[in-house]
Amino acid sequence: MISIKGQRQGILILFSDAEGATWAAQLDELKAKLEQSGSFFSKARMSLDVKTLSLSLEELQAAKNLLEEHRATLWAIASQNDKTIANTRRMGLATDPNKEDPPALVNDVVAKENPFAAIADGTDGLLVQRIVRSGQTLRHPGHIVVIGDVNPGAELIAGSDIIVWGKLYGAAHAGSTGNDKAVVCALDLRPTILRIANMTRRVPEDKKRKHPKPEMAKIVRQEMNIYEWTP
Amino acid sequence: MDSVVITITSGKGGVGKTTTTANIGTALALMGKKVVIADADIGLRNLDIVLGLENRIVYDSVDFVEGRCKLRQALIRDKRAGELYLLPAAQTRDKTAINPQQMIAMINELRDEFHYILIDSPAGIEQGFQVAVAPADRVLVVTNPEVSSVRDADRVIGLSEALEKGPAMLIINRINSARVRKKDMLSVEDITEILGSQVIGVVPEDEEILSSTNRGQPVVLNSKGSAAQAYRDIARRIVGENVPLTMPSNGSFWQKLFGRA
Repeated sequence: MISIKGQRQGILILFSDAEGATWAAQLDELKAKLEQSGSFFSKARMSLDVKTLSLSLEELQAAKNLLEEHRATLWAIASQNDKTIANTRRMGLATDPNKEDPPALVNDVVAKENPFAAIADGTDGLLVQRIVRSGQTLRHPGHIVVIGDVNPGAELIAGSDIIVWGKLYGAAHAGSTGNDKAVVCALDLRPTILRIANMTRRVPEDKKRKHPKPEMAKIVRQEMNIYEWTP
Repeated sequence: MDSVVITITSGKGGVGKTTTTANIGTALALMGKKVVIADADIGLRNLDIVLGLENRIVYDSVDFVEGRCKLRQALIRDKRAGELYLLPAAQTRDKTAINPQQMIAMINELRDEFHYILIDSPAGIEQGFQVAVAPADRVLVVTNPEVSSVRDADRVIGLSEALEKGPAMLIINRINSARVRKKDMLSVEDITEILGSQVIGVVPEDEEILSSTNRGQPVVLNSKGSAAQAYRDIARRIVGENVPLTMPSNGSFWQKLFGRA
């Protein structure tokens, strides 16, 4: 019943207020998703949209605790219910994730770029047109597309594919929610660490080349390999 | 007065931030500008030493923020370079003594009277850095031609972009053209390819810097050496003059033959 969306301000979890959609059941569902997703939510800034659900302080706190167990930070809860809004304020959280900015974190500069809807497969994407620098993390539940370089020390974490029209020298984790069909492509594919779903590999040092070719990393028969990237 | 606040930072320590700040500030003052150079490295202040003004400090920026003096009283005039003033940091305190809001308020008070306010940032990306860049209109990042310093410069450029300080400009310090040719050192092109930032100056490695720093005499005061010239060129670019970037040589054949000025 719940759904997860990538947004300008971070990650948004949409709850359902349909009849029969209980808070407890939806929290269980969220818990299952968090557990499946491995490290995807670690250090992420999250907001909730609970629609018209009327929730007590304890119920909201349960969601906050659950996210914190997975090392994510809850900073806002959007709601159309007065009691829920009042309780959100009592917790010291923001009530309008679209209007307010999430707290700034030195170590996780969330992209200010707007997500886009990919036509090809219906999965959301994040388009970034700049250099992704050391210390910056881009995180999106769908695809991440970078037009520019990804420098060493930067980190891309995508639920689906990662495409870099430039050099990929940082860390890349595609299919981070367990999708082993995800791919990582770059014009110069030399990440410090390359992960797809639950597989990790290092790119050999001797890959430094004068004239790099576009390449794609993907999992074929349980093995991660790098292929020439020919569209 | 149309003032410009420039923070000079680097991420990594020991790349030459303080020497660079002292020399650019002095060069700007020698061009007739009214300049303050502010030391934001509270607890590890050095700018006063590089400028040779250590024994003239009575009050510092923390004294001002905590209300023990007027800002004017904390400024120390360097008589060698026209209208050049040092705003020293406290040595007996730490980076928590001034917060970003206090820093902005303090620097704003100087804006009416000075053309340029240069802030020497501490190394690192923690509170001291955040305080030093808070009032900046422009950020200059000093890097050396080696991988770890370039990596830290990348980090700091990203942070100053996130703080919406506009694109940071680069000063490549301590380059040695002979070692670049031998591929011991990164070249200017290698560095700009990684960082994608505009270079505002390239300063050659120069033995003169060490001795001038120890004597408290910025090289731009009286040297004809290549580093001094590079700092003067940066100052001219800061005021908007069009000075082409030249790759400095570390002593040409003729300079070596006749000894350096």
